[in-house]
Amino acid sequence: MIKKWLLGLLISLWLIPSQSVRAIETENALKAGFLFNFARYSEWSRAQDTQTEFVLCSPDNHFIDVASVVLAKRMVNHLPIQSKAVNLTETDLSQCQVLFITSDTLLLWQAAELTKLNNIMVVGETEDFIEQGGHIRFFLSGGKIRFEVSPAKLTQANINMSSKVLRLGRVVDN
Amino acid sequence: MKIDTKLLLMMLVSPLAMAEEPLNDLDLDLDSLMAMDVQVTSAMKRAQSAFDTASSIYVLTKEQIIRSGATSIPEALKMVPGLAVRQLDNNQWAITSRGVASRFSAKLLVMIDGQSFYTPKFAAVYWETLDVPLYDIERIEVIRGQGGLLWGSNASNGVINIITKNSIDTRGVYADLSSGSQINHDANLRYGGDIGNQGSFRVYGHVKDGDESDKGISLAPSDYTEQYSLGARFDFTPNDEWSGLIQGNITESTLGQNFRGVIDETNRNVSFSGHLDRTDSRIMARIENRISDDANQMLQTSWLKQSGSQTFLQEDFSSFDIDYQMNFLYGDLKFDWGLNYRYNDISFAESSFVRSDGGYNTLEQYGALVQAQYTIIDNKLDVILGAKVEHNDLTGWENQPLARLVWKLQPNQVLWTSISKSVRVPSLIEFNDDFTIDGQRVEEVSPITTGIDMIDTYYIRTYLNGNNDVKSEESTSYELGYRLSQGDWGVDLSIYHTEVSDVLAVEVDAKSEQFLPIFALLQQGEIELAMQSLASTSINFDLVSNAELTTNGGDIILTWQPTDTFNAEVGYSYNTFNYDLAENTFEAIGYDSTSRQLFAKTDIQLFENHRLFSSLRVENSDAYNTDNYTVLDLTWQWAFHPNWSAAVMGKNLFAGSHIEYSNAGETYTLPNYIDESVTFKLTAKF
Repeated sequence: MIKKWLLGLLISLWLIPSQSVRAIETENALKAGFLFNFARYSEWSRAQDTQTEFVLCSPDNHFIDVASVVLAKRMVNHLPIQSKAVNLTETDLSQCQVLFITSDTLLLWQAAELTKLNNIMVVGETEDFIEQGGHIRFFLSGGKIRFEVSPAKLTQANINMSSKVLRLGRVVDN
Repeated sequence: MKIDTKLLLMMLVSPLAMAEEPLNDLDLDLDSLMAMDVQVTSAMKRAQSAFDTASSIYVLTKEQIIRSGATSIPEALKMVPGLAVRQLDNNQWAITSRGVASRFSAKLLVMIDGQSFYTPKFAAVYWETLDVPLYDIERIEVIRGQGGLLWGSNASNGVINIITKNSIDTRGVYADLSSGSQINHDANLRYGGDIGNQGSFRVYGHVKDGDESDKGISLAPSDYTEQYSLGARFDFTPNDEWSGLIQGNITESTLGQNFRGVIDETNRNVSFSGHLDRTDSRIMARIENRISDDANQMLQTSWLKQSGSQTFLQEDFSSFDIDYQMNFLYGDLKFDWGLNYRYNDISFAESSFVRSDGGYNTLEQYGALVQAQYTIIDNKLDVILGAKVEHNDLTGWENQPLARLVWKLQPNQVLWTSISKSVRVPSLIEFNDDFTIDGQRVEEVSPITTGIDMIDTYYIRTYLNGNNDVKSEESTSYELGYRLSQGDWGVDLSIYHTEVSDVLAVEVDAKSEQFLPIFALLQQGEIELAMQSLASTSINFDLVSNAELTTNGGDIILTWQPTDTFNAEVGYSYNTFNYDLAENTFEAIGYDSTSRQLFAKTDIQLFENHRLFSSLRVENSDAYNTDNYTVLDLTWQWAFHPNWSAAVMGKNLFAGSHIEYSNAGETYTLPNYIDESVTFKLTAKF
């Protein structure tokens, strides 16, 4: 009886089902804000002049829902930002400037058979994401978002990030 | 890039404010994003959402601290509207809120990253040796009024929590060097870097050599400063669920001071010049764990050691703390609970001023807190209920409940109200020690006078006796606040009424009958014998807990940011402090008084690389036995190179040489005139 009661208490205190969407929304919103800053402080050296919008992509629909709200009416290099949910196929990705792989879509990323993605900034949030083909990885420190970045891999993808942003991150090029 | 004023106001109050704001209102400035917590629940008892916080909170931002040119924590605190910050000399300070500040009894809880600096001996904080590198402070949160619930006992007048930066944000080299009319040299150096890809660190050092003030009151000033500090902080983030930090600091200080005390048979306070040698060390470690998206927990442990040596006073104090806290969301309920334990070790050499009754070399304190915030109407009305129970060795179990209501009238308007009870446990000085104080004249305490000058004007040895009948002071505070942000400007208003019972007072027991044999000797013409007898007589002032105290007042702060290169803040604070004393007693701390304070701060970017920060304070108070004064602090900064900047700081302009604190009755305290000063500073960052 006591065991059951204790278990009930434990469940109510510790193993709380994630009822509040708000907490995840906040994290996604902040990460969308970081992606916006990565974009506006970087240069895509092979950007096409005909571009009419700046496209932020993710295979994660939940993330794109939040990002669309956060980044509505924002501009990068005078281009309006579009947040798009995409499939991880080369055709779909060809329209993207930034690709965000969330922890929920990591398996899709690992399963996707993509050739080298040029001109796309690839950002993730899971351990070893940069080793797995990414350029930037978010992590949490003391409840706040920080990031690791590989400037060399960004350069290989024809992207130059401003030192203003680089110095805020942990540079992981060896 | 212009920051929306509402956002600015919320940032001013807390970086966490954004968490509950509509997503499309997010401030996407990189600095702001880096300052925000990902979770609404956050460890370390921080205010959840400042705009909606049901207490009078003010956050001093890192920008204000740097731009103001403050050279110490107390100087930075001068910028907080509603804080009484009185400078005694070049090293010593008396600081409090919603009351009368004193060097030795502040009723204010001061913490660095949640580590308490409260000393149970004096109930004071040695501001002069609280050395925290200002350039690595994230923000200083100041809660005016009762912080009892979340922070434990002795926070009846307020809480100051100094939050330092995560070392991941302080990688690289920082160096500064200052010199000026009062500072010979003040130099800081910090180096920070990564530890692999799972951590970061910083190490830093500080050297300060300061001059004496120009003018003393009764003695030539001797308040020079020699101070050395070394410290380090390490942060670890093995994964997104766990993070930890360890930090430590050691500060060696030699501080000149004037002081006074009773040391000979004149039984009078005698003034001296001397110096104080202190070593202050602290170390703390914290582990934070994100249990789920809606819950986290935190364990913090810390150790503090302070040793001080000065003429007639030798003290050693150390304390060990361990704190656990958990916060979670469950639907509309936000719940926090925690446990705390503190062990104090106090060693105090007997001196001619202070004698301990003995028996309290170690003190333990433990307790628990619960707080629940429930949303009654979504985005409209929240109710907060909580209680903290804590046991201490002096007065046993103490209980501090509170109830708060937050009503969001409009998305840009919040009305809050709070009723809370808070407890101040007596310090050992009050509970267990005897203090020799300035002697009383026979004619002041004896029922009859003799007409013989030598007898009538003789100063009898007088003791102030702490005793274990002294109780905890209990304050009940009623607070009401309103916040508004509208276009370019914002308002933050709070008013309060606080009633304190069992307040410490001093009861005079002259024991008139002890004079009768002396008068008998006089009648027999034995004047010399009468004098001898008088010399062995003493008068006792006993500390008693029978006064009542009422404080009323309010703070209003207006913020205005018409352009992105200019922001201004105007504040006004009012406080009345009234004792209700029993017969034959007088006040122990402060006296009936009214304090008014007017503040104006402006922060202007003049040209691309120039910035002018000004802060004007008008202090109008009869609580410190001083004239009213108006001071202006001006700092001009010039970033003449991407890595280098220069600054010139003028402090205490307008007021000239002035006295900020003159409650001369306090043993030991002997202030100087506070001078105008000019300081030059060179800063480099790589």
